[in-house]
Amino acid sequence: MEVTEKNMREIIEGYDRDQRYALAIMQDMQRIFQYVPREGLELLAEYLGCPVSALYSMATFYKALSLVPKGVHIIKCCDGTACHIRGASTLIEGIARELGIGPGETTPDGQFSLETVNCLGSCALAPVMVIDDVYYGKVTLERLKEILSEVKKGGGGK
Amino acid sequence: MIEIQINGKTCTCEPGEFLLKVAARNGIYIPTLCHHEGVGEQGCCRLCLAEVVERGRSRIVVSCVFPVEKPIEVYTDSERVRENRAVVLMLLKERAPESEEIARLCEEYQAIDGSRFKALDNEKCIMCGLCARACQSLGTGAIATVGRGTGKKVSTPYDEPSKDCVGCLSCARICPTGAIPYKQDEKERRIWDRSFTLVRCESCGEIIGTREELLLAAERGGREPDTLCASCRQKQMADVLAHTYGLE
Amino acid sequence: MRKTVLICCGTGCRANGSMAVADAIRKAIREAGAAADAVAQVKTTGCNGFCENGPIVKVMPDNITYYKVKPRDAGEIIEKTVMAGETVSRLLYKNEAGERVRSQEENPFYAQQKKIALSAIGQIDPENIEDYIEIGGYEALKKALAMTPDEIISEVEKSNLRGRGGAGFPTGRKWRTAAGYDNYPKYVVCNGDEGDPGAFMDRSVLEGDPHAVIEGLAIAALAIGAEEGFFYIRDEYDLAVKHIKKAIEDAKARGILGDSVMGSGHKLNLSVVRGGGAFICGESTALMASIEGRVGEPRAKYIRSVQRGLWNQPTVLNNVETLANIPYIINNGGEAFAKIGTKGSSGTKVFALVGKVKRTGLVEVPMGTTLRHLIYDIGGGIIGDRPFKAVQTGGPSGGCIPESMLDLEVDFDTLSSYGAMMGSGGMIVMDDRSCMVEVARYYTQFLCEESCGKCTPCREGLRRMLEILTDICEGRGREGDLELLERIGHTLQDSSLCSLGKSAPNPVLTTIKYFRSEYEAHIREKRCPAGVCRSLTSFGIDKEKCIGCDLCAKGCPAGAISGQKKEPHEIDPGICIACGSCREACRFDAVITLGKGAARE
Repeated sequence: MEVTEKNMREIIEGYDRDQRYALAIMQDMQRIFQYVPREGLELLAEYLGCPVSALYSMATFYKALSLVPKGVHIIKCCDGTACHIRGASTLIEGIARELGIGPGETTPDGQFSLETVNCLGSCALAPVMVIDDVYYGKVTLERLKEILSEVKKGGGGK
Repeated sequence: MIEIQINGKTCTCEPGEFLLKVAARNGIYIPTLCHHEGVGEQGCCRLCLAEVVERGRSRIVVSCVFPVEKPIEVYTDSERVRENRAVVLMLLKERAPESEEIARLCEEYQAIDGSRFKALDNEKCIMCGLCARACQSLGTGAIATVGRGTGKKVSTPYDEPSKDCVGCLSCARICPTGAIPYKQDEKERRIWDRSFTLVRCESCGEIIGTREELLLAAERGGREPDTLCASCRQKQMADVLAHTYGLE
Repeated sequence: MRKTVLICCGTGCRANGSMAVADAIRKAIREAGAAADAVAQVKTTGCNGFCENGPIVKVMPDNITYYKVKPRDAGEIIEKTVMAGETVSRLLYKNEAGERVRSQEENPFYAQQKKIALSAIGQIDPENIEDYIEIGGYEALKKALAMTPDEIISEVEKSNLRGRGGAGFPTGRKWRTAAGYDNYPKYVVCNGDEGDPGAFMDRSVLEGDPHAVIEGLAIAALAIGAEEGFFYIRDEYDLAVKHIKKAIEDAKARGILGDSVMGSGHKLNLSVVRGGGAFICGESTALMASIEGRVGEPRAKYIRSVQRGLWNQPTVLNNVETLANIPYIINNGGEAFAKIGTKGSSGTKVFALVGKVKRTGLVEVPMGTTLRHLIYDIGGGIIGDRPFKAVQTGGPSGGCIPESMLDLEVDFDTLSSYGAMMGSGGMIVMDDRSCMVEVARYYTQFLCEESCGKCTPCREGLRRMLEILTDICEGRGREGDLELLERIGHTLQDSSLCSLGKSAPNPVLTTIKYFRSEYEAHIREKRCPAGVCRSLTSFGIDKEKCIGCDLCAKGCPAGAISGQKKEPHEIDPGICIACGSCREACRFDAVITLGKGAARE
């Protein structure tokens, strides 16, 4: 969805004017716009009657929120303990090599973002990564290449 | 009323009173950095440690936020307290190598050697967050903590000049290590990357604050912005009273 | 006879393609015609725990369980098993003796489990409230409505149930305290933030049996007199959020929740809050700050959250697995529950058995089961029969336990007395190719990022511990480092603000205690015995063992391995980045681990 004042207001005003919805509203923005836009943060502060700094503090504290736009495809590579001892770092490096981006970065063409997460709760399938909500278990470097080229082609999924 | 023992001395207090306060009232000094009356709960610098013994069990508490509820024995200078404080102070020194206050405390309380570590560059801030809390409760919430973990800092949103800041200096004045820089000359004050025009007392010429600060105070108090400094205002008030009651 | 085909659609099986299997099975039934349609009923269920062997398909009441099912197997399952009652042998689990076993109970992974919290998962469709009611769901709530709060709490006290999130605080006592305050409103909260990497039982319960957790939370609300409750669920758990939300709506529509709980006049509204992605929010006061819409920083807990919790009101916070045990306790009585497990730790515990173990997954066993039983009998031992090195329990707050302690019984108190902890039940098995210094460094880095940054010991202490550990891993360790690590670690335990900081040094302190020689090899000999720390490691190929299968070269990210097919290969030390992929890929143990200097020689 396009980042417009109208769209942002729609998200915000879907909730009661109560501080307790601050996180949920920012998460909705994150889901819909792939990030929390600055104007969105300012509109929300106005709506809730709180300083922008309080929301900025939250947005930089919670890992689920990002202040910069993310890529079209989001790769979440698990670096939880089970994945870590089953070669997650090699996998993360593999992705970095294939796409030229490190964790927390987005490719210049805006196609891919790479994130590392602390556990996807799929430890029995370690190492695990998730691309656009599709889980890939026991990923080897060889399979990684296949998966990435599939996603690039617009395939993805299983 | 509860009776407790601090370093062997019998002290009395109300249930729920914070240990730091009870100690201070009884002339027992406990060092602290992030505690400030009037600025909510803190408990984050971990300097005001004390050892509490209760039913034979001993533990370390943070005295500024530890409410005394039962008769306990407290030691503010036990070996365990000294060891913890010595490590905490070393950690603070490597964090804020430029702070003279921290260096002084390290000497006074014999901090352990931290030369193994790479100290932070050019840093005075100990990240106690007192400034952000002060700004929230006294000012406008222009600054807050940003991020988390070892990368946490205090800043304005997006590290840019904040619309909310009124240049009141609450943050800089409350900072225990003098870590918030500001500049001031005859006409203006610069803080957090913004300039504020200073207003002077119409009578004596003393600086009475920034224009934004005075406007905010006026708005909150529902009155006109001040034009006089505190002492001239008092003097004016006295003159008015004297005139009214004919005491001239 | 009517048959049910149960297809596991937990997150793990979905990753293995179970949704496509479900579609194929539905299609196969349609294609098999009216007869099949009349006989077979298809249900998608929650996680069976044996994710590595998914997708899992069960046919009931024949009690046949198939593993690693592909969509192309669907026709055969319908034709042979559902219609003709025959088994498809190749899809059965093969045990150690090489025999194919028919039922789940005969599978060594399941045979020794005792399920309470996980009992309904895999049997019911979590998105269908009728399924839950059919197996006796919400009977406990009905029973509780006929009891006084004191009677409910007494039953929970009698069960000796302790919090499954890790701290092990007695649940009954927590409820009793909250019930004792006259300060309304009160709140109940279910902690589903499950932050420990390597643990996923809460995800599995929320996904697979959401109504059981709702029922547990509703009973807690009755016991303390709360009318509002929250589920705080980890942001990454999409399916869990979806299932809990649906379950709340369905329960509301049926009058089980809402303005009059089951017609009793008690009011209870439940809602879901998605976690923000912060490990610290597993800490009660931080979690509550997060629900209130603030930064998730904990506060000093000299006044407990049960007295002053959400919006400073009395609040009971229980973990998912804890709540899933409540219906059992109310239905069967606290004494029945207390008979299971050990004296100090009653009931069962769900563990996530993962890492370098043959059979990985979720297992529920009585408290007091030994680590050896879990790892060797249920888990089948170490992958490739390599030597066992350590098991990490309790996540970043726990510790690493060496082989000499494998016969310890796992419960709340035993492991703690050895510097580790049972924690929320993550159990990560490590073999001789895991470096304990690197594991300690990994956890410390994790905590540096996840610490809220509020108090000095945690924020600055972890920073400095990581500095030393990184130095050791990269060959810059010094004499005196271990003593300094211990000294800072003890300060964290003593003077950090919350339990994250207090337990943060555990992985470091336990590895120093039990694996000191490994640290010393790094510091004094600049050698990583496990061959993990790259700055201290290089690899070579044993020409005698190498058969030239080329697997290592295919997987090498740096292109450092060369050699003709069927000829011994070679690693170019100038190109090799020491990532160890070749060692993992080799099936002939031909890749040898060398020190950094060795390759140059």
